[in-house]
Amino acid sequence: MAAGDAIVGHVVTFGRVLHEAGLEVGPGRVADALRALDSVDLARQEDVFFSLRQTLVSRRDELDLFDRAFSAWFLRAPVLPPVRTRHASETVTRVGESPSERLRSQGDEEDADGDPLELGASGHELLREKDFAELTGDELRHVRTLIAQIAQMRPQRLSRRRAADSRGTSLDVRRMIRRSLRTGGDPVDRPLRARKDVPRKLVVLCDVSGSMDSYARALLLFLHAVVGTGRGVEAFAFGTRLSRLTPELATRDPDAALDRCTEAVVDWGSGTRIGASLREFNEVYGKRALSRGAIVLIVSDGWEREDPELVGREMAKLARAAYAVVWVNPLKGNPQYQPLAGGMRAALPYVDRFLPGHNLRSLEELAAVLAGIERRHAA
Amino acid sequence: MEFGSIDELEGALRDADYLPERGLSTALYLALVLSKPVLLEGEAGVGKTEAAKALATVLGARLIRLQCYEGLDVAHAVYEWNYPRQLLHIRAAQEGTVREEELFGPEYLIRRPLLEAIDSDEPVVLLIDEIDRADEEFEAFLLEVLSDFQITIPELGTISARRRPAVILTSNRTRELHDALKRRALFHWIGHPSLEREIEIVRIRVPGIPERLASEAAAFVRELRGLDLSKPPGVAETIDWGMALNALGRKELDAEVVRQTLGSVLKYREDIETVQDETLSRLVGEARAASAAR
Repeated sequence: MAAGDAIVGHVVTFGRVLHEAGLEVGPGRVADALRALDSVDLARQEDVFFSLRQTLVSRRDELDLFDRAFSAWFLRAPVLPPVRTRHASETVTRVGESPSERLRSQGDEEDADGDPLELGASGHELLREKDFAELTGDELRHVRTLIAQIAQMRPQRLSRRRAADSRGTSLDVRRMIRRSLRTGGDPVDRPLRARKDVPRKLVVLCDVSGSMDSYARALLLFLHAVVGTGRGVEAFAFGTRLSRLTPELATRDPDAALDRCTEAVVDWGSGTRIGASLREFNEVYGKRALSRGAIVLIVSDGWEREDPELVGREMAKLARAAYAVVWVNPLKGNPQYQPLAGGMRAALPYVDRFLPGHNLRSLEELAAVLAGIERRHAA
Repeated sequence: MEFGSIDELEGALRDADYLPERGLSTALYLALVLSKPVLLEGEAGVGKTEAAKALATVLGARLIRLQCYEGLDVAHAVYEWNYPRQLLHIRAAQEGTVREEELFGPEYLIRRPLLEAIDSDEPVVLLIDEIDRADEEFEAFLLEVLSDFQITIPELGTISARRRPAVILTSNRTRELHDALKRRALFHWIGHPSLEREIEIVRIRVPGIPERLASEAAAFVRELRGLDLSKPPGVAETIDWGMALNALGRKELDAEVVRQTLGSVLKYREDIETVQDETLSRLVGEARAASAAR
């Protein structure tokens, strides 16, 4: 077709625009989009729109981005192309003092210092006990490897799939029949199968409000390591609102992951609205049954700026869907600590395990709890 | 049945009492033309499964449905050997005369949905329902089947599709699916229909319902979706409710009848409690106003 080349150019460029805006648009998708446009009426804008969207986008949270890009590119509507808006929002986060910036500047200091800190066995011990709030940049870097080891422990559930296992409890009939051929149909040999253990879903909600700031770095490292243990882990951060961090944390390099997190979280170091954040979680993700059968881990000091009653209500909903709820509160590391904060008090009745999370030792304890957690008996 | 354009397919779906929005018609049309699977996502009750049924109807194809669940395995999705029959056969035959090949032949094979769909001579629409509930291992296996449209049974060899089934996957997004699977499929998000369309759907699915009742019921459900509910009602609920209201011989909506029948729209106790007394009366008022303003 004569107009073909123009269309190809148009779609290829549009694909590039989407790609820069953060959508994963490979050549395969662009080829699909062209094939799709080939079979619809190009004069109908709606059909062109859906053809492109259905071939180029594969996630619901990308639809909005696509829609804006489409109107900017094809309709020349007076909106900024998404690439620019994205840069703009990045600049905004960087203007405020973001933790990533602080981390980055600390990284520079480390480089200036030269060798990373070497620690002996006793150093390890000290480091394990040291409150995260008091860690230096060097120590944090060292703590990182230890955290990754701790995060390897994941809670398990039984899969429905069965694999051959001599200590199994169910008969492997297919294998038995095959073997019984040798004995005239008598099942002399009885091969067994057993269910395998697979990791249980884990959902982590991490408070990054101002009062948690000194712990947020270490806990994000922990989150990053946990997400790295495989699929079935979802991570969120909240202050005044909820941000999903799973895609950001999926980067292998912890520094890059933390940077991307701080860009994604708009309300870093802000006040806390635990109840509202939990409600957002229940509404958006709980409805998708993300929390069903999962272990939900909440990391927060429980300081609620607004109504503690809302915290209680939303915790009740969450606890009903979850397999178990674990609350980590760094303040609990202090022996004198009493859960007096309103939000914390409202939440406690729905919490199965209440743990500190202020140093490495307490993270080890947390990992052990997560690995061996039992379904609570009474709600 | 072949369709030359989106309009043609849309017309046929309408004749089959399914009213798709333009985006869904486009997705189904492209699925047929490009022979690619479509992934339909959306809230529960927006008609994802219905779309597959309607497509099968208009294509004159057989609908084969694979309902996914946690722990779904090859034995339940693809094939299984008929062990009791095999054992009986060995027992009945003279000792030493049964060869392994005859025992693992087609007559002892129990065919499950995926094998049925691949090994079919008639046209097939394969509905893989709620894929997000299956394990990731199964998803990976499915990806393989959907790329080659062939299934290997160690004892019998490889079976390839003689005609590719139209494939519809649905997901309620309880988890993100693998990118590889998503890349292979067209993606369409189904939202709640517009008021006009929902009224039309209710009138088609509840024969004999007075127009005013259909319109007020649809408007009321729309109001409900605006509230903070654990499970906002889908189109399926609107249809159920329309049937209930129509069976009661109602011509229009009032607070009394809504209170009596609310259980067919809202399925959670907390949700029903949220919509009581003043809220309920207010919503009825707003729904009637919205319906009258059409």
